[in-house]
Amino acid sequence: MISQDALQTINRIIAAVFGGYAFTWGFSVLAIATLVALGIDFHEAETAISLVAFLVFLGLFLWTFAAASMIRVWLVLAGGAGVMMLIGLMLQTSLLS
Amino acid sequence: MTETMWLIAAVVAAVLSMGWLALAYETHWQQVFPESRTLPETGRLKLTGWVFLSLSAVFCLKADHPSMAVLVWVMLLAVAAFSVAMMLSHRPAALKIICPPLFVAKA
Amino acid sequence: MFNSLRMSMGWVHTWMGLVLGFVLMICFFFGALSVFDREIDRWAIPDTRFEPQPMPSFDNVLKPIYQQLQPDPVDMAATERRVVGTLPDPETLKLESLFAYTTHRDPVLLIGGEFAIPNQPIDPADDHQHVHGRATVNPATGEMLNDDALKIGSDWFYPMHFSLNLNWMMLGYWIVGLAALVMLAGLVSGIIIHRKIFREFFTFRPWKNLFRSSLDLHNMTGVVALPFHFFFAFTALVIFASNIYLPVTHTTLKPLHEHHEMLEAERKGLPHEPAGIPAPLASVDAMVAEAKRRWAERNMAGEVGFLSMNHLGDENGYVSIYRAGSDRVALVGEGIHFKASTGEVIREEPPRSVVSSIDEFLTGLHLQHFEHWMLRWLYVFGGLLGAICIATGFILFVEKRKAKHARNGSQGSRIVDALAVTTVTGMVLAAVGMLVANRLLPADLAGKGQWEQTIFWSVWGLAFLHAAWRSSPVAKARYNPAWREQSLLLGLMSLCAVGLNWVTTGDHLIKTVFTDTYWAVAGVDLSLIVTALIAFYAAAKLRAPVTEQKIDDALSRNKQVNAYD
Repeated sequence: MISQDALQTINRIIAAVFGGYAFTWGFSVLAIATLVALGIDFHEAETAISLVAFLVFLGLFLWTFAAASMIRVWLVLAGGAGVMMLIGLMLQTSLLS
Repeated sequence: MTETMWLIAAVVAAVLSMGWLALAYETHWQQVFPESRTLPETGRLKLTGWVFLSLSAVFCLKADHPSMAVLVWVMLLAVAAFSVAMMLSHRPAALKIICPPLFVAKA
Repeated sequence: MFNSLRMSMGWVHTWMGLVLGFVLMICFFFGALSVFDREIDRWAIPDTRFEPQPMPSFDNVLKPIYQQLQPDPVDMAATERRVVGTLPDPETLKLESLFAYTTHRDPVLLIGGEFAIPNQPIDPADDHQHVHGRATVNPATGEMLNDDALKIGSDWFYPMHFSLNLNWMMLGYWIVGLAALVMLAGLVSGIIIHRKIFREFFTFRPWKNLFRSSLDLHNMTGVVALPFHFFFAFTALVIFASNIYLPVTHTTLKPLHEHHEMLEAERKGLPHEPAGIPAPLASVDAMVAEAKRRWAERNMAGEVGFLSMNHLGDENGYVSIYRAGSDRVALVGEGIHFKASTGEVIREEPPRSVVSSIDEFLTGLHLQHFEHWMLRWLYVFGGLLGAICIATGFILFVEKRKAKHARNGSQGSRIVDALAVTTVTGMVLAAVGMLVANRLLPADLAGKGQWEQTIFWSVWGLAFLHAAWRSSPVAKARYNPAWREQSLLLGLMSLCAVGLNWVTTGDHLIKTVFTDTYWAVAGVDLSLIVTALIAFYAAAKLRAPVTEQKIDDALSRNKQVNAYD
């Protein structure tokens, strides 16, 4: 039988690694699309965001372990990832049309 | 050849600076002078240490393109600090040679 | 779950650090070896022990060599699975693009190219319509290097440090990526747990108990090389960001990316597609001369680092020539593109923007194309400091728990200790064992490189079995004798490797240092000797029983230093 503590820990690890990754992905999509929309060269935007993205991931990773409420963590990570992804894709569509 | 000279100067300055910065701590001073009832002139040691730290940066810049000099300097500081730490733990008395009376305060 | 920030950070530091620490050991150690990968190649392939040289003449030397280039059988098989029908005979495939790459440390030259295939892809979105081929050539003789001769430095130790040589589903890359993130998290959490980081700068008290002295070393190696640790872990992620770790522009944002590529190709004037009209190739040497003239004009005189040609034999074909970045923290760059059929300049790349300069500095400081031997050695040292930091982390983990584990019969610290032996002495044994095997196996043995890899993994596996077999004392809160036994063996094997290099090639240290200086081989030999000395010293230290008396002496001698506790 897995203890409550162990489940808590597994939840945090999954949130930190996969939730953090999903958020970072969404962030990158939105940030690159936004920079391009602002008239910045595509590769410039891509490079700039690749420099920032892992710092964002690192911050989220540590925050997941430090945060008091796991519900809030998941809300921010999964919700943030979904919303940013959506806006990013909409931006892309409007940029290409 | 001049580049090599500048780099050697940078190494020397880095090691000296780390040595003085370490001696500014009373605990490390006691490692070097276990018997004596002296204390470090903390202010002077720190000042000289920082001056030499900056000097080693200047020497690195003399030797290389600035982008490279930054890397050399940062890595040099790590090696210098590590060497000073190893000297403190294995041959602390050797550090007496960088302690002229200028740096010694009476307890 | 955690009551405070420090507690949660302590958990991340201890447990994430422990699990991924075994991977980080590999990254730091083989990363340190990769600084001198080309030199290790020379040691392992004695036929290539000659001086590095700049990119040779394309028209006279390289052109005929490309005629011999063949599609890679492994890539043939992989491509076969992606396309409709069977691929034609590899002999008949036509080279459509090619490249040549060299650095200031390479006596041999890496060449490669893409062969066009007539087959349709199974997945219509798959636009990868070619098979790759690559080879290493000796520009002095124009001969290709035997495929069985594994470049142990640049094709084994180097990829080991970023992919664990575990290529299935790119698994190794992902594990290393996670380890790099955990390294960053370990540094930040370590600082949060510790707070007083400058205190630790110079403190190492080997006379104290193993836990204390390891903690000193752990903190000190972590702190003095903090920028190195941080930037190497960080840039590791950035280097692979767009292709592996975060390929948003190849997936989610692919439409936007392709749109941009099209616009850019139009702007640059570099044809994206062949014209379908055959055309001859003008003198490439003349183009190289023109490129060098233009670099010199910009006050950046330099050598060619990378040369590539696209749409070979076609009217739209072009030649790209890039400068080697050996005099600054940069990769190849300052590209100049020529029309292949006439040799006229199509485009000269403008100076880099601010963002790309920062990016290039960050990736460049990790990839080290520069020519600076002192900085290379400083990097080796930084890598080893990282390895010490992680290895002492294992010791701390074990020392903190083993007494408790001994009391309640847990095997936890015993297992961790055995794995620590495997990833500290065992890993170095595997690397040195591979070098010994390299000198013992005959040069013309079929599949020699494959044998060397097998031996590498076998030595490592045996080291693990040995460590596990000898580990029972740890469960009784004592030390695992495998530490000492493997150190002894490592010392002997390192000396063996040096001896075997002498016997099999005639290159002994007096020759490689003094009479016929060749630093690449001398450097590897000397490093092996230093490894042996450290290993013997460690073995001797591990034999000496730590007596109470000795500890007391040391304590009284350095009473004042204890003020921290």
